[in-house]
Amino acid sequence: MLRLILLPACLLLQFAFAALAATHEPSSLLAAQRATITDVARATDVLAKKVDEQSGDDAKLVEIRVELERLAREVFDASLAFRPRLSEINTRLEQLGAARGDGEPPEPEAVTAERTRLLDEKASFNVLIGDAERLSVRINGIIEEIAQLRRDLFASTLSRRYDVTAALSTDVLGEFNSELGQIYKTVSSWLAFTVKYRLKPLLTATFLALVSALCLLVGGRRLFGDFIKPDPTEEAPTYLSRLSVALFSTLIPSASLAMFLAVAYYFLDYFRLLRADIAPLLWALFTVLVLVFFVYRLARAVLSPRMANWRLLPVRSQAARWLVLLAGLTAAVTGFDYFMDQVYLLFGSQLTLTVATSLVATVVVGLLVILIGGVRPLDDAEGNPRHWPLKFRYLLFAIGGAIIAAALLGYIGFARFLSQQVVVTGAIIATMYIGFLTAGAVTKEGAFAKSWLARRLERYSPFDETTLDQIGLVVGMVINVLVVLIGVPLILLQWGFRWADLIAWSYRLAGPLEIGSLSFSMVGILTGILVFVVGYFFTRWFQSWLDGSVMARSRMDSGVRNSIRTGVGYVGLVIAGLIGVSAAGINLSNLALVAGALSLGIGFGLQNIVSNFVSGLILLAERPFKAGDWIVAGAVSGTVRKISVRATEIETFQRQTVILPNSELINGAVGNWTLRNKLGRVEIPIGVAYGSDVRRVHEILSDIAKSHPAVLKNPEPFVLFAGFGESSLDFEIRFYLSDITAQLPVQNDIRFAIVDAFEAEGIEIPFPQRDLHVRSGELGITSKPARGGVRASPEPVELHVEEGAKARRRRKIDPE
Amino acid sequence: MLMKNLILAAVALLVTGGVAMAASAVNRDGEPRTLVVTEGGSQSELTVGPGETVEFCSGGCFVTMPNGDREVLTGTETIEISGGRGRIR
Repeated sequence: MLRLILLPACLLLQFAFAALAATHEPSSLLAAQRATITDVARATDVLAKKVDEQSGDDAKLVEIRVELERLAREVFDASLAFRPRLSEINTRLEQLGAARGDGEPPEPEAVTAERTRLLDEKASFNVLIGDAERLSVRINGIIEEIAQLRRDLFASTLSRRYDVTAALSTDVLGEFNSELGQIYKTVSSWLAFTVKYRLKPLLTATFLALVSALCLLVGGRRLFGDFIKPDPTEEAPTYLSRLSVALFSTLIPSASLAMFLAVAYYFLDYFRLLRADIAPLLWALFTVLVLVFFVYRLARAVLSPRMANWRLLPVRSQAARWLVLLAGLTAAVTGFDYFMDQVYLLFGSQLTLTVATSLVATVVVGLLVILIGGVRPLDDAEGNPRHWPLKFRYLLFAIGGAIIAAALLGYIGFARFLSQQVVVTGAIIATMYIGFLTAGAVTKEGAFAKSWLARRLERYSPFDETTLDQIGLVVGMVINVLVVLIGVPLILLQWGFRWADLIAWSYRLAGPLEIGSLSFSMVGILTGILVFVVGYFFTRWFQSWLDGSVMARSRMDSGVRNSIRTGVGYVGLVIAGLIGVSAAGINLSNLALVAGALSLGIGFGLQNIVSNFVSGLILLAERPFKAGDWIVAGAVSGTVRKISVRATEIETFQRQTVILPNSELINGAVGNWTLRNKLGRVEIPIGVAYGSDVRRVHEILSDIAKSHPAVLKNPEPFVLFAGFGESSLDFEIRFYLSDITAQLPVQNDIRFAIVDAFEAEGIEIPFPQRDLHVRSGELGITSKPARGGVRASPEPVELHVEEGAKARRRRKIDPE
Repeated sequence: MLMKNLILAAVALLVTGGVAMAASAVNRDGEPRTLVVTEGGSQSELTVGPGETVEFCSGGCFVTMPNGDREVLTGTETIEISGGRGRIR
């Protein structure tokens, strides 16, 4: 009893609290958003100060910009949070109506109070949104300022002119030596300390790095074993295998080295072994090592100086050796320059030292590039060495010349930018190029089927050559996409874009697009397509499982199986399509609008197709015939081959395939010889001459029919004395066959038997004939005998045609 | 081939980056109405003639309605101005 009272009380309390919370919400909303906006304003102040401090550091500026963008979104979201409450207030205010004027009767106190309260609340919201707006303007102003700063920074790096003559003095050499000594001191003291006191973590870090790099290397070798080492015994490797060897023998060892160094760095950092002065040094060294190694591997892979038949570019062996050396040197010099720059930055060295190093390095790079242009790698018609193609050679000369000229004129920043681009961007573009070429080669007909992966696939799966070819097409596309996805960001990074930029772009790519009221995103569409493909294959698998495992065992009729199979296929396809569309983020109710607008047009335009489609569904459900049936529809008679959505395929007995629209099969009369069984009646008409012994004939025919083994005993064959024909006494043998589709041999047998039996019994089979009686008489026409003509007889001629009344046996009247 | 792919990638980037959504405002009043739109770092006044529809605000902005109400738009909304009041749909 007590419980019964308590329960409603509790409920009431709960409601009260909920109501309380609801009334409290606006003020708490205001407080929360105000707090957010105040926080953001404070953070903005800090960042604005940072911008002034870090105005010379591009990477820091990008970081600050990302942070500012986040803050801007926060302010925006904070203001957006007011919208539901604001629209509530506006609606309520509208319901209350405008305040009454002087001449009108006063409105109730409560109404005025509520209006005032709502207006106050709205006003406080408006104030806060105004603050947010000002803050947002400020944040965006700083973002624009950062963009301007970065543009200036880049331009000044490239266009700043240094005094080269000062850098070429002998003092610089001494300073360089002392810097090297300082590096040595720093590194050796660090090493001595670490080995002495922190040997264990050092060894652990090295060991872990080695293990991870080995994992990658061994795993890569196991997976792409055939691709890493070119087989020297192979006389003429295919283009595809050469490409893959080039690609993988570059990527896998480089990735392994990068992995080793990255993991080593990570664990050294993790064990706190990296001092503040060592960390950037090590990082720069590792970067340079990876870069130089990568360029060298790439050059070796493409040019393959030792094995001429594995070479990707058709250059001479001597030239290949030179080119590998030059490319490696170019990378090494550029790397050295970069590393020394970091060192000088770290030790706060003289600017002249930086300028001198860069000057020497860039001039060397320029010379190397020109040297590469001067190599004679190709064969001419007589087999003598020939230069690169003219355009390529001049391009190389121009780049090398530009680098040297810029460096000598003092534009060190520009020269360095150029030489780094030549090495890094060149290497990335070369790798991408190989990737694209590989994709193209894989896509070529039959290329993939011959590759190692396809052979492996063939062993474990039931794919035939055509399927493998199609897989090759897909693989080619995937390689293309991967190359673009990996290569383009790398190049953009090289060109001064930052990760933050790229990430912002990718967010934009993934973000929703608006077209009218439809909203979707690229990622969403790709997801939708993927989901649809998965759904489609699942449907296919389910179909074959249902057909092969379930229905085959239930000994279902093949027509029913076919119907169910097709129906399941359509249902699965529609479901997969719907799931795909909704996974793509396209609102189905939006589509319904479009569909509604289009349905009238569709109704007229696709009337026939829709009616055929629905008819097809009815055919599948009702099954007036099934695949394999012998049907007669109008003028078409044949075996049903396939019932599909729009039309039914019928194969006539001449093996002509007739495609009959389903609606005709539904609307018109369709005869089916084999609907429930294949039993059918065959009639063979036969005529005998007047005067034959009809009872004997009846008996003979009856015997012939009964004696044939294929003729059913029940229903019994029947011989009909069908009528008195014009030139024959007509009989008809009617008999039933268990399989009407095999009637022709039986008909043949019976006809032969009839002819034989009649021959033996002397029964005549007549044919229609006309007797022509010519009677003599006066025609009343006198004519002179024509020369060589017909002599007119003196008697009149009576033309009497007697149509086949009398049968004569095999005696033809000569028409002359 | 390489060039083609690179150009395609660049075009795809530009297209997807350049496609912008926009909010729209329609004026149901008999007189022109002015909205104050703050987008990014700039503030501008947008005058909408009677019965006119304008597109603005390609990605998030602050709007001050003719009657002084402030609103935030994400860039997909439609504002209907009637009697100086802006209503978001």
